[in-house]
Amino acid sequence: MTACLAAMLFCRAMAGQGVPSGNGFVGSTVCKACHPDVSLNFYKNPHYRSVAAADQPPEKTGCESCHGPGKQHVEARGGKATIVAFSQLGAKEVLDNCLRCHANTMSRANIRRSEHTSNDVVCNQCHSIHKPSSPKFLLARKQTELCESCHAPVRAQFNMPVKHRVHEGFMNCTDCHNPHGTNSPTWRMGVRPRLVGQSADGEEPCLRCHQDKRGPFAFEHPAVRVDGCESCHAPHGSTNARLLKRPVVFTLCLECHNGAGNFGRQGDGIVTQNASHNMADPRYRSCTTCHVRIHGSNASAQFLR
Amino acid sequence: MRTLPVALLFAAVLSAQQVAAPTPEAVGSSRGENLDGYNIVNSFETGYRFHMVSGNLERYRSDVNFGNGIRLLSSNLWINSREGHGLLFDELLLTTQGLGNDPYQMAKLRIGKNKLYQYDLVWRLSDYYNPGLIGGIGQHFQDTQRTMQDHDLTLLPRSKIRFFLGYSRNRQDGPALTTIQAFDDRGDEFPLFSNVRRVYNEYRVGGEARVAGFRINITRTWENFREDTTDSLAFTGLGNNITDNTLLTQFSRSQPYHGNTPSWRLGLFRESNRWFAFNGKLSYAEGQRDFVVDEFAVGQDRFANPNSRQILSTGTGRRPVTVANATISIFPSSTLTVTNQTSFNRIRMEGNSQFQEFDFATQADNVANFQYLGLQAITNSTDLNYRPRKWIGLFGGYHYTNRKVASIEQFAVTGFSQNTFYEQESTLHSGSGGIRISPIKPLTIIADGEIGRADRPFYTTSERNYHALGGRVQYKRGSLLLSAQSKTSYNTNSISLSFHTARSRSNSVDASWTLRSWLSFDASYAKIHLDTLTAIAYYLNRSLVSGDRSLYISNIHTGTAGVRFDFRKRADLYLGFTRVQDVGDGRAILTDANAGATGVQPFLAAAQVYPLSFDSPLARLSVPLREKLRFNVGYQRYRYQEAWLPTQNYGAGTGYASLLWSF
Repeated sequence: MTACLAAMLFCRAMAGQGVPSGNGFVGSTVCKACHPDVSLNFYKNPHYRSVAAADQPPEKTGCESCHGPGKQHVEARGGKATIVAFSQLGAKEVLDNCLRCHANTMSRANIRRSEHTSNDVVCNQCHSIHKPSSPKFLLARKQTELCESCHAPVRAQFNMPVKHRVHEGFMNCTDCHNPHGTNSPTWRMGVRPRLVGQSADGEEPCLRCHQDKRGPFAFEHPAVRVDGCESCHAPHGSTNARLLKRPVVFTLCLECHNGAGNFGRQGDGIVTQNASHNMADPRYRSCTTCHVRIHGSNASAQFLR
Repeated sequence: MRTLPVALLFAAVLSAQQVAAPTPEAVGSSRGENLDGYNIVNSFETGYRFHMVSGNLERYRSDVNFGNGIRLLSSNLWINSREGHGLLFDELLLTTQGLGNDPYQMAKLRIGKNKLYQYDLVWRLSDYYNPGLIGGIGQHFQDTQRTMQDHDLTLLPRSKIRFFLGYSRNRQDGPALTTIQAFDDRGDEFPLFSNVRRVYNEYRVGGEARVAGFRINITRTWENFREDTTDSLAFTGLGNNITDNTLLTQFSRSQPYHGNTPSWRLGLFRESNRWFAFNGKLSYAEGQRDFVVDEFAVGQDRFANPNSRQILSTGTGRRPVTVANATISIFPSSTLTVTNQTSFNRIRMEGNSQFQEFDFATQADNVANFQYLGLQAITNSTDLNYRPRKWIGLFGGYHYTNRKVASIEQFAVTGFSQNTFYEQESTLHSGSGGIRISPIKPLTIIADGEIGRADRPFYTTSERNYHALGGRVQYKRGSLLLSAQSKTSYNTNSISLSFHTARSRSNSVDASWTLRSWLSFDASYAKIHLDTLTAIAYYLNRSLVSGDRSLYISNIHTGTAGVRFDFRKRADLYLGFTRVQDVGDGRAILTDANAGATGVQPFLAAAQVYPLSFDSPLARLSVPLREKLRFNVGYQRYRYQEAWLPTQNYGAGTGYASLLWSF
């Protein structure tokens, strides 16, 4: 009790020192008195840079850059009603507050229309400014765990025998996704899939690592460009080899190459297999044994080499 | 003071640990040690990992791939200047995993000095092993190593004018196995050795400035890709099919493939909390690849006649890519946000090449030329987010896309008979909407849906008439987290007699709870269902069969469970279990669905479901020996079982013993 009283008196005393008149800012030093748990390690926080730099106006420096002017809070001896307390803010207010400084990057260009924002998953749902599990990006928990705490089916996919190595720590969700929202995909129509990041040139994120599939090729497999890699692959994880969407290749191929009218670029269907391909013969049921360059080729329109 | 250990404990508790090592327990003081104006927090875990496999080792290497040996399982080093005025740096963060021996290695470094610079490095190495799986992709096999690194340097990070420099490198090397077919489309296939050599380098230079309330960002990028993979005959003689007379006695192929992709990116931002926010992005990339394919084969054809063939293909492929996005958000009131985005992208694959195939036996010369493919899409989407009350919110949107896919079969061959321009145009209209409710603070309920109509999708499997529905309920109070969600996505793509339908559903429940400081639980269950029905056409003995259908059914049940005990600060025990089971369509025996089947149906029946199970229990014990030293042991079992193809099954155990220490 005595300590609290002393802290309050200290706050009030500090509040009167060097405070810019009229604007209600008291400076981060004052906050230390009542919030030592936060301030003691705050120098490890990226937001401390504004304090260290000491070149910004009060509304962009230290605690008050996020929590607003603290004078009223000090005078009221604390209380969440007298200061910007993020636990009391609605999702939009949280977003507005953070974007005052963090809006101006490409990666957050679509945050206002992102699926996360629509679902009220805003900054402080994933980032913990004062209790981060890691100082980089100030994530509340390890990234994979954070994402999978909501996306349980994705967690299940990464537990499958064939998967990208996310649980093994080799990759992160953000290698392929942008949780802050993305532009409309260039490899599909509409706005789906949402939150899938894009390479610098707007291409599908798979090509960031799998550059050999990128081309340009003299003979492109249009599926890669028209409907994206997920035409054939399940990117998170699969029970099938090579992350394929089917256990064997020939059904995957035949489901598009069926000559069905109106489809394809000529409107007369995606070309069927050659009449020499006798499906009763097992060799023709392993399409990629011959069509080895299925992602694109420079020497064969049938992707044979 | 206690925040970091609490956060670390929270992180350790709520995750169902997927791999036994590295150990997530904390060691040493989370506050770190002060030294010459810096604070240092560190931990290092060094240990020995081992594995034992019974069954299909190749499949194990494909799925898990942990081996034996000593390694630095993990390390964390955080150094911060206490006043923010360090001599060379104010912040240094180094995190590593698996260095030395693991198949998945990673190192991340951030070092920066306030106001002066910030440097980020991500380095990764993956031992990629892919066996020639039976029933999968036949003889394609890879045992390659991929290393990736990204370097990013920001100069004057807090200034009104900032500069960026970056470099990325991605290298893939190693032996592989592929195949070649000779000498015609009914000839035999032969295995080839490949020496995979791929290198990708990217250089970035950019700057950013604040001008008239806008932030303008310009980046110039140069990418260089080189592939020098060579192929040679694995062995001379007959190929895969012993009844085929085709023979290869000589074979060589080299196909260097080099090129650059210089690009420009321009970004424009303006964020205003009062009325609107605007941002735009324009990028243009001029991709180009030069290639030569030189292939030479000698042997005999399927009629047992001597044959030799030379393939020569030379040329240049170009792909200019233009992408533009403009997004404006308007805030008519504090409760409403309206966002509109217009996107334009144009991709053209063009260039010149000539493919020549000389059949020395017949002196035939087959020539083909570049196949042009161009895509152009315009998308406009408007999304609303409205929150009339704190406990309720509504969101919705309308999205429109018009896309053209154009092609020329024999591009750049004037007057050639197949030099015909084709263009396919499709328009998609889709709408989405949802509601989120939080009647009491710990409880959140979200329901959403989307419906879309495309008039002319490109593929039979593309989205045409689709709808998706989703719902999520979450209850979070203290350390207790309960959630359940359901999602369905249906797509019907019917044109006259041919059609495709896909139905996917996923349902899941999650729970985690820290019951006491020494006891916590975590469990989840998910069922993922997919069934697709698609018309297929194929040939049987040169007769076209066009009325058949491919039905694929997958019913995957997955579950995870974990429990963590802390025995009076003397030991931490974690027990976890993960199971994945695809029960297919419920058939216990492969032949059940084959009765009375004709044509290719027996083979389709075998491919339509693929029941298997994959279990992975694990246990880990971590004992603090001293304040800055822990001893850890762990063991994880893997059991992979396919119902119908037991040759790929395996059981494996991986374990480790390590010391986790801090100085």
